[in-house]
Amino acid sequence: MSATMDDVQSPGRDGSRSLLKMVGIHKWFGQVHALRGVDFEVTKGEVVGLVGDNGAGKSTLIKVASGYHRADEGQIFFEGQEVKIHSTKNTRDLGIETVYQEQALAPHLSIARNIFMGREPSTFLGFMDTETMNNRSMDALTGMGLKLRSPETMVSTLSGGQRQGVAIARALNFKAKLVILDEPTIALSVKEVQEVLDFVRGLKEKDIAVIYITHTLYHVYSVADRIVVMAHGKTLEDVPTRDTSVDELSDIIVKSTLGE
Amino acid sequence: MQNVTVARPRLKRVNLGGLSTPIAFLLAMLIFAIFSPGHRFLDPRNLGAMAKLTPDMGVVALGVGMLMIAGEFDLSIASVLPFCSYIFTQFLIAGLDPFVAFVLVLPIGAAFGLINGLIVVRTGLPSFIITLSTMLFWRGLLYGVSHMMPISILPYVPSDSPLAHLLTGQIGPVPVQILWFLAFALILGLILHRNKFGNWVYATGSNQDAAIAMGINVSLVKVACYMLIGFLCAFAAVMQSVRLGSFAATQGIGFELKAIAAVVVGGTSLRGGVGSMLGIALGVFIIQIIENGLILMQVPVFGVETFIGIAVILFVVLNNLTNRQFASQSA
Amino acid sequence: MTTTTEADTIVDAESRRTQIFVRFRNAGVLAILLLLVVGAAIATPDHNFIRGANLRTLLSLGSEFGIIVLGVGVLMIAGEFDLSIGSVLAFCSLIFTLLIAVPINPFLAALITLVCGSLIGTLNGLITVKAKVVSFIATLGTMLFWRGLTLMLSGGTMRSAVLDDHPFFVNLFTGKLGGIIPAQGIWFVFFALVLGLVLQKRRFGNWIYATGDNALAARAMAINTDWVKIVCFIIVASLVAFSAVIQTTRLSAFSSRVGTGWELRAVAAAVVGGTSLLGGRGSMLGIFLGALIIMVIENMVGLARLAYEWTFMVLGLVTLGAVLLDLFVERRVQRATAA
Repeated sequence: MSATMDDVQSPGRDGSRSLLKMVGIHKWFGQVHALRGVDFEVTKGEVVGLVGDNGAGKSTLIKVASGYHRADEGQIFFEGQEVKIHSTKNTRDLGIETVYQEQALAPHLSIARNIFMGREPSTFLGFMDTETMNNRSMDALTGMGLKLRSPETMVSTLSGGQRQGVAIARALNFKAKLVILDEPTIALSVKEVQEVLDFVRGLKEKDIAVIYITHTLYHVYSVADRIVVMAHGKTLEDVPTRDTSVDELSDIIVKSTLGE
Repeated sequence: MQNVTVARPRLKRVNLGGLSTPIAFLLAMLIFAIFSPGHRFLDPRNLGAMAKLTPDMGVVALGVGMLMIAGEFDLSIASVLPFCSYIFTQFLIAGLDPFVAFVLVLPIGAAFGLINGLIVVRTGLPSFIITLSTMLFWRGLLYGVSHMMPISILPYVPSDSPLAHLLTGQIGPVPVQILWFLAFALILGLILHRNKFGNWVYATGSNQDAAIAMGINVSLVKVACYMLIGFLCAFAAVMQSVRLGSFAATQGIGFELKAIAAVVVGGTSLRGGVGSMLGIALGVFIIQIIENGLILMQVPVFGVETFIGIAVILFVVLNNLTNRQFASQSA
Repeated sequence: MTTTTEADTIVDAESRRTQIFVRFRNAGVLAILLLLVVGAAIATPDHNFIRGANLRTLLSLGSEFGIIVLGVGVLMIAGEFDLSIGSVLAFCSLIFTLLIAVPINPFLAALITLVCGSLIGTLNGLITVKAKVVSFIATLGTMLFWRGLTLMLSGGTMRSAVLDDHPFFVNLFTGKLGGIIPAQGIWFVFFALVLGLVLQKRRFGNWIYATGDNALAARAMAINTDWVKIVCFIIVASLVAFSAVIQTTRLSAFSSRVGTGWELRAVAAAVVGGTSLLGGRGSMLGIFLGALIIMVIENMVGLARLAYEWTFMVLGLVTLGAVLLDLFVERRVQRATAA
């Protein structure tokens, strides 16, 4: 039924390029068994699409990876070493940055203040080093091809695509090795979607790995190296993108909702 | 047929949002300067009196404003203030040096704030109900313990004593209280607008989930704001008592509403995330001007409260309108 | 994270939990009430609490408060607060007094007062819902406004409101059934039954719960939450007006200080009765019992000859205690049903 880890071939995947490896992850929420022994791996510079219907456990899995939730069972390895993930700060120190579905941006704050939220560079007594903040923000933005006039612009005045860009720029700025994108193209226009996909390709060029969660197979199909299908808390399929098609994936997902 | 989307000029709305408070300030000054009998409003003695009275509520309102930017409320100031005054008075009666008593009562005020903050943060329940309850509780306790009797502190802090000079003296024609208010406004403004902590306050009020996701300890932020308010209450309590020359259990009555009014008139959003220290300071002045002006025009006291009630609602609506572009657009 | 299949399980668990919680809570409230009554009967000097005269006073004065609590509770279930009740009570009291002084037939005067009340409620509702001012600030503002207006119109003085020519009217609202049971108490029970029926059995009642529990979901189900809230505001203010008529009739006078401090007493009563501060949870039975508890507590404080000041403290404690107890019970039930 499902392809095992060993069968799959992905570009440049051997032990030394392994970035994140999750083995046998279980997670319960009260009575609900959200993750049932999930194995999941990402290598450096790889874009992995994580797809599946509602309730498959995609969001839960990456929330475990980012430290938002703690796994009840299982092991996590980062760059070959076993790690204990217990908080979002933990994972950010490791180099895992998450761009949440809700973007985690404060609408009333400027771009720079959002990018550095919680990690504001400061001089004595905690007073912010706004010059550094502004400069580094602009660098991060232009590094992604986001053309915005000023880092002091209030985030609520930006379009959906631009806000997504700011959120990704935030991940970039903090030297992420792995960026997790949770439904990055929801509620975006066609043009904005393309912008986001370009951002993702940009990350890949910098050898930054990406986990891309989405419902819209067409989007992820155009950027991912590999696609993992989840359903009912388990991984169903794990195939290189070139070995499959959108229709095939779609079939698998629909069938998974009919079963069980 | 071509569909042309026209970009709405957003710049205008940003400016207006920032302007409604200064406009109100100027308007209020003008109206009362012109219409008060004999232009008494502008009489230096009147201005001096206002300068002495405003900081009692004003100093606390600065803290209340910061808390509201973080997204919570504190109604208990009306009881914490007189309670701190009572404690200060008891310290004096016990023989403590006035300065020592003053310095000791400040962390006690912060402790009141700590209690409020912990309850709000641990329960996650609406802060206005929690602080309304604590306000009643402290008020009841204070009334019971003090039997509502005023206590004179003049024997301990006569008008020529150093503490009196520090808190209620004059520098030239300027009463020292207003200088304290401005000093606090400046310091808190710097913290709010330039310090990391200030960014955390805004983040907590603007999008608490985002703040948590970015590793900000929102509980700490809120508790710190509550403790700040408690500290400011204690400061204002001593300042007021020294000026009055006594402790009175009725000190601070009505401050909770006036503080909220000042903060709201100052452009702060009730939902959090929007506001400025300058706006709050101006709001304090506006409320004081209105109160003073209406009294000069011989409007009965309850008329003042009515007006403040209307002002609050009006400004909340106004703030909402000018802030509408900031309405949360996250999915 | 929570998806449709997981969500279904959780929603079922959620409503089961809520039902258990409510039943649990009401039983708890009843227990507290009984404890208080027994305690008061034993502890008050000469068992004064149990004396007929005291009970009659308790039920007549207390019910004037209780009627308002019913409305406040319903509004809280819808997720909003009305802090202006005390001021509206004073204002309606003044209106009624002025009307019967004309003299206008008291029934007509009462009707007009009720209409005034409902208009005030509409205003509160519109400010909250249409002008989008958070209800507790909006009603804080209107509280100041109506109190101020009342004081200005009355000059702060008391006025007499004598109704000697209308014994039927007086009896209807302040008489005693069979010489024993105060009319106010009967009205209190009557309104509790009516509102209780609406909450439990009528669609509109369901809409109130839905609006308070999850307004977005309610709106998705085509419930006009704005309208629901406005109606609840109207209910509160109308009940306040009704109570104003009763109270003024009983006192034969208007006093500009009536109603001060009632807003928190009412919230305390509702919370003690199991109403959630966050909306969506509460029952008429609980609110009714909660009102009784507050009435009994205040009566006890009075009988024990404690200074009035202590009531503030008690009220603050009771509210906090009720709120914390609520949380505690809710978490217990969650743990029990999640296992």
